[in-house]
Amino acid sequence: MNIAVCVKHAVDEGELRADTSGRPQLQGALSKMGSFDRNAVEEAIRLKESNGGSVTVVCLGGADSKKTLKEALAMGCDKALAVASARALDALATSYYLSRALKKAGPFDVVLLAEGASDTYHGLVGPMLARWLGLPFLGFARKVEVNGSKVRTEAALEDRAESYETVLPAVISVVSEVNTPRYPTLLQIMQAAKKPMEEVTVESLTDEGAPKFGVTVGDVVVQSVDRKKLVFEGPAEETSRKLIDALRKEGLL
Amino acid sequence: MKLFQTEHRRALRAFYGEGHAAFSTLLESLAGTLEAEVAPSSARFDADSGGISSARRRLFEAGLCRMPFDSHGGLSLPFGVYSLAMELVGAADAPTAMSLGIHNTVADGVFRYGSESQKKEVFEDLVSGKRLASFSLTEPSSGSDARAMSTTATKTGSSYRITGTKTFITNAGEADVYFVVARSEKGHSAFLVDGSAPGLSVGADIPKLGMRGSRTAEVRMDGCSVPAENLVGEDGRAFEYVKSMLSGSRIVMGSICVGIALAAYRKALHYATERKLFEKKLSDMQMTRERVADMRAGINSSRSMCLYASRIKETGEDYGSEAAQAKIIATETASRVCDQAIQLFGGYGYTNADVHRHWRDARLLTIGEGASEVLRLIVASMELGGAA
Amino acid sequence: MDVLVFSENPHLAAELLSAGAGLAAASGGRAYSVEADSVRQGTHGNALLLRSEVPLLGDPALLAEAISAARKTKVAPVVLIGSTKTGRMVAGGLAVLDQLCVLSDVRDLRVDGGRLTGTRGVYAGKFNALVGGPLPSIALIPQGSYEPFSEPSGPVEEVRVTTGPPKVSREELRSSAKSSLDLRGAKVIVAAGRGLKAKEDLAIVQRLADALGGVIGASRPLSSDLGWLGEEYHIGLTGVYVHPDLYVAVGISGQIQHVAGIRDSKVIVAINRDKQAPIFQVSDYGVVGDLYEVVPALLRALGRP
Repeated sequence: MNIAVCVKHAVDEGELRADTSGRPQLQGALSKMGSFDRNAVEEAIRLKESNGGSVTVVCLGGADSKKTLKEALAMGCDKALAVASARALDALATSYYLSRALKKAGPFDVVLLAEGASDTYHGLVGPMLARWLGLPFLGFARKVEVNGSKVRTEAALEDRAESYETVLPAVISVVSEVNTPRYPTLLQIMQAAKKPMEEVTVESLTDEGAPKFGVTVGDVVVQSVDRKKLVFEGPAEETSRKLIDALRKEGLL
Repeated sequence: MKLFQTEHRRALRAFYGEGHAAFSTLLESLAGTLEAEVAPSSARFDADSGGISSARRRLFEAGLCRMPFDSHGGLSLPFGVYSLAMELVGAADAPTAMSLGIHNTVADGVFRYGSESQKKEVFEDLVSGKRLASFSLTEPSSGSDARAMSTTATKTGSSYRITGTKTFITNAGEADVYFVVARSEKGHSAFLVDGSAPGLSVGADIPKLGMRGSRTAEVRMDGCSVPAENLVGEDGRAFEYVKSMLSGSRIVMGSICVGIALAAYRKALHYATERKLFEKKLSDMQMTRERVADMRAGINSSRSMCLYASRIKETGEDYGSEAAQAKIIATETASRVCDQAIQLFGGYGYTNADVHRHWRDARLLTIGEGASEVLRLIVASMELGGAA
Repeated sequence: MDVLVFSENPHLAAELLSAGAGLAAASGGRAYSVEADSVRQGTHGNALLLRSEVPLLGDPALLAEAISAARKTKVAPVVLIGSTKTGRMVAGGLAVLDQLCVLSDVRDLRVDGGRLTGTRGVYAGKFNALVGGPLPSIALIPQGSYEPFSEPSGPVEEVRVTTGPPKVSREELRSSAKSSLDLRGAKVIVAAGRGLKAKEDLAIVQRLADALGGVIGASRPLSSDLGWLGEEYHIGLTGVYVHPDLYVAVGISGQIQHVAGIRDSKVIVAINRDKQAPIFQVSDYGVVGDLYEVVPALLRALGRP
C-alpha cells in the first residue's frame, strides 16, 4: 500500500510569547511538528505495519520544514518530500500545492493528515486536498481500518459519532485520540538522516489552476484578558469560603 | 517546559562546529521524549520516593545508554553529546539521570576492561536496558578512602567467594548486575555479581534528603560465590579501572547538575516575571536581576566545563583533572543556583517541594561519585605534584 | 449583495442568518438560509432550498457541490458557514470548487472595499489576527458570535441541483440526546478534567454545576480519550468554544488546547491540587487543593451539601 502523510512544521504555540507591543515573537520562536500531525504520522506507520507498503511524508513550508520531515522519517516513514514555499500560504493554496506534489509523487492509496494545524487551526486543508485530488474525504477519524481495497473510519462529530466507508484511494484526517504517537529512538533518528528526502518548490508545481487570491493576515496581537490570578491555599473549608465570597462580590452568585 | 533550547544548540555549535546540526536534532528529539514521558512525573518521584523505573525504561528504549560507545550496539556519539544528553535528563528528572548515569559507568567499565564474552553477554544487555547495573564501591567504613575497603574476594578453585558490605549503593535492590570491587590476593579486583547470586542481600532503602526517586541501600555479600569468568579485566588492577571509570562518571554527574540547576533557574525566572512585589515585577528589581545574571553565568560556565572535559576525553588525552574540575564547578554551582532559586521564591520556595527538591537533588552530588574535597586533591596533585 | 448561510445545526444557522442579514442589508441585498433536501422546521428568514437526485444532508462533499451549483443561479459574494466539523468539510469542498477564500472561525465580520474581513484566534487563542479575503469569500463562524435571527420564516426559493454520486457511505453510530447549545449558550459552566479519578465522580461535578445554576463540560481527556462524557462536552481548540459568565475548571491542568476554548469566559475559577498547574495562570480565582475536599466544601458553603 502506498501511503502519504501530510504534516505541518508549526510554531510551538505553547512557547510563543508576545513582545512588548503585544505581537507574537515569531523571530526565533520555537517550532516543531504540529501536535496533531504526530498522530497522522503514527497512523500512517501503523497502516504500513499492518498492510505493508511504504509511507511518504510531505511537508509544505520554509526551510525549517526539514526538521519535521526528519522527525517523521525517524518515526518510521520511508521517504520525505519537502514542498518549499518562501512565504506562508493559506489553506486553499497549501492544499493546491500539496495536491500537485502528491500527484507527481503518487499515486497513493491513502493520504493521511491531521484534523488541523496546532498553531493556526483551520481544519480546511483535508477536505480541500480531497477535492483537488478528486478523492473521497473521511474526516476527523478516531479509528481507521483498512480492509483490502476498502477503508472504514469512525468519526466523532459535535453531537454524534458516525462511521464512513469508501473504496481506496481516499484522503483521511485523524483526530488526536486515534493513537498515541511513538517517539523515535536515537538510532532511528541517526538512520533517518540517510533516508531519501526530495525537494520541490511551489513555483515548479504551479499550473493555470493555481488559486489566484489568498487570505491575507493583517495585524496579529495578543489576546489580552488580564486575569486576577488570586490563588487561595489552605484548608478546604477556608478556601471554599473565600472563593464563594469572591464570586459574590463579582455578582455571580 | 522545553528542555532543549537555543543555549544547547549554541553550545553544540561552539564545541562541535559544523557537525552540530545532527547532534542538535538528536538531542531535541530526546528532549521531546523527556518532556512527554519523564518530566511530568518528576515531582511525583520526589514525593513518593521512588517510581522511576518506567521513566528509566523509556530512556533505555530511546537508546540513551548506547550513545557514547562505538561497538556492540553503541551509537558512536561523542562523549560531550552524551553528557549534554545527561544534562537534559537531569533537567527532566535528576534521580532518573543519576540512576542511568551510574548504570552506564558500569557499562563503560565492562566495555573497556571486560572480556569479549562479558561484552557480548553483559555489556549489550546493559546498554539495551535488558539488565540494570549497580556500582558497588563505597563501604560503611571507607567512603572517600576507597583503598581502605574491607570487602574480600578469596579464590577457591574456579570461583571467588566475596564477603563484605557496600553502602550508599544506587540502584541497589533493583539491579540485575552489581559491579563489586573487593580486596584480593593480588590487590583489588572487580567482579560482576549477579543480583540473584546466593549470599548477596540488599538492605532496606536508605531515606535521603534528595534524589528520592532513585533507590539507595546497602549491599551485603556473605560468602557470595562468583564464577572466575565474572572477574573484570585482570586480578589486582581494579583501582586503575575504577579511577578511569569514575573520571567519565564525574563529567556525567556534573552535567546532571547543570540540568538540575537549569530546571530550578527556569522556574525562578518564570516566577520572577509573574510575581509582583510593591507594585513592581520581581524581575524588574535590581537584586533579582543581579541574581539572575549570577545564576545564568554559573550554569553556562558549568556546562562549558563539562563539555571541555568531554572534548579532552574524546581526544584520548588524560582528562582526570578536568573531569574533577568540571564536577567541582557544576555541582557546587548547582547547589548555589538552586539555593538562589529558593531565595527568589521566598516562603514559597522553602515550602514548595517542587522548588526545593532541585536543591535537595543537587546537594548529593558534591558528596557522591567523588566528594568535592577528594576532587580538589586530584586537581592539586596535577598542579603541584604529590599524591591525590 | 446577497449572502448565503449554511449550517447543519439549526441554532447556528439562525445566528449565521443574523450575521448574513447585517452584511447584506448595507448593500440592499438579502441573506438566505440554505436548506438541504427539505426546509427545517423553525427556519427563519428567507430560505434557499436545494434539492438533488441524491440526499445531500450528512454528506459534506455533496453539500459543497450543491451550494456551488446554487451559486450559479443565486449570485452570492459571501457564504457564511457554521464552524463545525461538517461546516469545515463543506467550506473546504466549496472553496476548491468555486475558487473562494475561506476565513475560518472569524468574529466581527465586515465587508469593506470589496473584501470580507474579520478577526480570529491563532496560536491556540493566545493571539488575535485580522484576516481578510477578496470577494467572493467564505467565512466559517463559530456558534455564539451573533444573536439568533428572530424574524419569522420568509419565502422559500427552490433550486434543483445536480451533484455527483456519493463517494462515502455513512452510518450513524451514536446520536447524542443533548445538544451542544447548552454549553455554548451557558452562563455558568463547571468543567471536569483528568483530576477526576472515576467516571462516577462526575456526580459531584454535576452537583456543583447544579448549585451554581450551570451545566457541566469537560476537557478533552474526559470527553474523547476516556469517553466519560460525549464529544459534545469537549471544550477547547478542537471542541467547543465557550463564553460563560463563570467558568469553573475542576481538576483541569490547563493544557493550551483547553484554554483556547475558554478565553472568552468573564470569570475563570480553577480548582487543582497542583499549584504549578498552568490553569492558575489563566484564572481569576484559584483554589489549591484536592477537588474531593474542595468541591464538597463548596457545596456546604453554598448550602447544598
